[in-house]
Order: sequence, then C-alpha cells, then structure tokens
Amino acid sequence: MMICEQVERRFQARGLEVVALGGVSLEIERGEFVVIRGPSGCGKSTLLLTMGGMQRPSAGRVVVSGRDLYAIPAAERNRVRSQEIGFVFQLFHLIPYLTVRENVLAGIPSGEEQKGASVDELLGRLGLTGRAGHRPGTLSAGERQRVGLARALIKKPAVILADEPTGNLDPINAAEVFWHLAEFRRGGGTVVVVSHGEDAGAHASRTIWLRDGRIVPGEEARTGVAT
Amino acid sequence: MRILRLIVAELNYHWVNTLMGVLGLAIAVGLLVSVRMTSQASERETRRVMRDMGFNLRIIPKSTDMDHFWANGFSDQTMPGETVKKLAAQRGVFVSFNHLTPTLEGRIELGGRMVWVTGIGETIVSAVDGRQPMGFRIKPGEIFMGWAVAQRMGVKRGGSVELGGKRFQVERVLAEGGTDEDVRVFLALKEAQSVLGQPGRINEIKAIDCLCLTADKDPLAMLRKVIETALPEARVLQLRTLADARAKQRQMAERYARLMVPMVFVVGLVWVGVLGWLNVRERRVEIGLWRAMGHGSGRIAGLFLGKAALTGLVGGLMGYALGTWVALRFGPGIFQVTAKGLVPEAGLWVRVALVAPAFAVLASLIPTMKAMGQDPAEALRAD
Repeated sequence: MMICEQVERRFQARGLEVVALGGVSLEIERGEFVVIRGPSGCGKSTLLLTMGGMQRPSAGRVVVSGRDLYAIPAAERNRVRSQEIGFVFQLFHLIPYLTVRENVLAGIPSGEEQKGASVDELLGRLGLTGRAGHRPGTLSAGERQRVGLARALIKKPAVILADEPTGNLDPINAAEVFWHLAEFRRGGGTVVVVSHGEDAGAHASRTIWLRDGRIVPGEEARTGVAT
Repeated sequence: MRILRLIVAELNYHWVNTLMGVLGLAIAVGLLVSVRMTSQASERETRRVMRDMGFNLRIIPKSTDMDHFWANGFSDQTMPGETVKKLAAQRGVFVSFNHLTPTLEGRIELGGRMVWVTGIGETIVSAVDGRQPMGFRIKPGEIFMGWAVAQRMGVKRGGSVELGGKRFQVERVLAEGGTDEDVRVFLALKEAQSVLGQPGRINEIKAIDCLCLTADKDPLAMLRKVIETALPEARVLQLRTLADARAKQRQMAERYARLMVPMVFVVGLVWVGVLGWLNVRERRVEIGLWRAMGHGSGRIAGLFLGKAALTGLVGGLMGYALGTWVALRFGPGIFQVTAKGLVPEAGLWVRVALVAPAFAVLASLIPTMKAMGQDPAEALRAD
C-alpha cells in the first residue's frame, strides 16, 4: 500500500543543514493502523507529509498504490492525493468561510461529487447533522476535528494520514476521533497517525518510534489489535 | 465545489479586505471617469471660448500685397468664391484646418464715413466630427453692425441703413469689443460682393487650425505645406496669440491627463496588489489545504484571480457610478458655458466593466504567483 525507501529530508536553516528525515524505510500494508510516535521535532510530521505527496524528499522514494509519488507528474500526484489520501490535522484547518457541510464537500474533487459518500449520512454518523449550516468559528474543538475527519472520509480514500489529530482535544473527544479512525480501518482503510501521546496506541496494529529523523531499531512493535 | 461559490463566500467572510479592494478600485475608476468627463467638458469649454475669440487662420491670395494687407486689414487681391469648396474637397485638409469660412472684405462709405464691410459666406466644417459651424450666419437683407458704427449713426436693432444703394435691416448691434469689429459691418457674402462690386469673388478664407502642436514644433510650417499642396494660389497667415492660447490650453489638459492617469493606475495597482498579498498571507493554511485535498495550481490561481476579477467588476461599476455622479454634480458649476454637454458617456460603463476586472487581475498576478508557489507542507505542519 505505502512504501518509503530511504526517505531523506534535509534543508538549510541559518546556514546549517538540518536533517529532518535521515533515511526512513517503511512499508505499510492495506488495512493497517500505524502510529508513528516520537518526541517533538523528530520528523514525524515531515514523514507524514512526505508520505502524502506534500513534501518532496531530498532523497529516497515514496510509493503509494504502486505509484512512485515524486516520480510522477504533479498533476498525477494531485490526483493520487485527491482520490486516495485523506488528511486530518491537529489544528483542524477548516476553511473558515464555508459551512460545515461545505467544508466536508470541499474534500471531494470537483466533478467527482457522485463518488463521495453521502454528506448527510456522514454528518449524521459523526454527530454533526445539527451543525451542517454552521461555520467552523462557532464549533467546539471536538466538532471541528470531526468535521476535519468527515472531510477526509467523504471521498472514501484508501488511506488517512492524521497529524496529531487529538493534540487539541480533551480525552472524550480524542477517544471519539480514534473510534472513527478505527471504524474507517474496519471498513478496509489504512490509517497512519502521528502522535506523541499514548492514546493512539490502543488502536494501533503497529507503532513506529522515530528519533532525530530515523526509525529507532527494536522499538517497532506490533500491538495485535483486532481488526 | 464551484469556484464562484468559494470566491463569493470568501469575499463575504473577509469583508474588510473585500471592502478595501472594492473601495480602492471604485475610487480609482471614479477618479478616471470624472477626470475623463471633466476633461472632455474642459475641451468643449475651451473650444467654445476659443470659437468666441474668433478664427486664428487667414488664407489669402498668394499675390496679396502684404503692406496693403496690414495697412488696410484685407487683401487687395481676390479669389473665386468656389476656392473654399476646392480647399474643403482636398484630402486631409480637415486634419489641419476647420471652420472654413469664405469672406470678402473692403471699405465703403456709410453715413458719411468709410467703414469696413465684411461679407460672410457659408462655413464648411469637417463632416466627420459633426461640429457646429462657428461665426455669424447672416441672412440676405440683414446687416450686423459694429458697436462704434451703430453709436455714430444712432442706429439700433430693428432699424435700417442704406449701403451701396441698398437698404438693410439691422438685425444685430454687436457688443463693444475693443477691436476693429467695432467699426465694421457684416453682410451675407453675396450682398457684400454686390455692394463692393466683386461678384463671385472672395479675398480671404478664415479658418481655425486643429493642430494644437507643442512649442517645439512649427505649426505654421505644417499649415503652409498643406496649403501649398491643396491651394497653391493661396497663402496662410496664423494669428499666433489665439493659436498658441488654444494649443497651450489643450496641451495643459493633455499633460494633466498624462500625469493623473498613470498616477491613478500605479496607486490602484499597488493598492490592489498589497491587498492581494495580505489576502494570500492570511489564507496560507487554506492554500495548503486545497493542495492537500489534491487541487492543483489552477484552482489556487482561479480562487485569487477570480476574486480579483469579481472585485474589479464591482469596484469598476461602482467607480463608474461615482465618477459620473461627481462629474455631473460638480461639473456644471465649473464648466458653465457647456454645462448641458456634461452627460454620461455612452458605452463607457461597458469599457469599465471590461478594463477594471482586467486591471485587478493584473494587480493580483504577483500575489497569485506567490500563492501558487507556496510550500503547502510549511503551512500545514503543526510543529
């Protein structure tokens, strides 16, 4: 499903070379729930964005569903992102001028609306029916993240990449978000979650530890949570 | 989701940015529209004032004795009356000359004293611009009398005088002008030809030059070149004071427009560009998000350029209304002679509706390119 081969990400900051990712190799199978953990600044978000075709690596390959993301043209990469990858962010990143319903619909590429799950059904499943006409500014943090989740789910992606999805939520809302991610996995989807907390571990089929841009050997664990 | 819906929703949400953009464009367009309308009014006013000042070109027979001409005020030589039609029929004459008026001047005894008689024929104007012929129109049997002549003879409007054995009704007594017009009488050309004993002849074509050249160019040389080709049997004299006043006024109006228009353009470009830049900065995360959802540069460009075009359209039309209102409200007080000529220019709003959005799009190009080139990962990462 997803393969990272010796992925490196280096950049210059104030004349010094910073190694965000120092040769990460990783393979994720369809239906896995992978949690990437590690301290702040260890490269978790960089790895996630690189896996999602959002940040070109300095070296190495990222293959999604058999396609080398950074070897294909930008338009095709966009297509992979729009059809197969759903993102969920810590800061929700909802579009402030659109309603909840419109924010969710924005997750579907133009012209492919019929392929998306029913927005009303999805809003109902996530407990947002009564909020469909509201703008993000009037929602609670938990509601905002559920809208972010709905936006990722609406296009029925193959994989959801979630960057600290519960970082701004209380435990109850965090648990609800993970429950929905686990539900997506039960439906055959793949989930990759970046987290520095422990709350994601309960749902993980595998946890990968990252430190200084590298996977920590021997600390990769299969949790064996039932699918 | 339709891009127009996104643009309208964003314009509504970031209403301060929208308002600033629309107002900026409305003021810029309003300035340009009002300047254009008042400039045209100013030109009309100048043309009318200059027309009231009289002709500035005198086309006389080439063989004229210039000593006689300057001593007596008219040429001692004559040309056929059809000469004016011949001149008017020449290709390109109206580029340099307009209001071609055939005249015959001479001196004749009236009430025991010699007066100047001027016979005035039909004025020929360029058929293209549809201007009204300037100067007097005198009907047969009527006479216009200079102020000093009328005073001396004790004649008033409605009275009659005998001239060259023929009686004329005084149709008008001219106001005191302080010029030689005060001691002239004016007749229809045919009757002047009759009383002066020069049937079918003229000795001058009066005209106005249309060149309005700058001081470093010599308009007289150009006029003479035209006459040399069109009417080799004639020569042209230019009343420089009038011609220069006319040219300078027009040049001043052009200089004013040359200063104002680019200034408004540059200020408008910077204003819209800066607002666009701020909008791009404010929407960094949104841009990253559209990228994350698989949208390409086309969507990003469409969002920003579409917004610019819509803002330009609304601001432009508001500016057209504002500029027209300003010109119509304050113009008549400034341009009192031609106040009625101040009317909304037909079709200008269509040009505004096309140009203002294009202008706003141009001003937003750099911010849009910035948005398209932005690294989405930088905007979306939480740490």
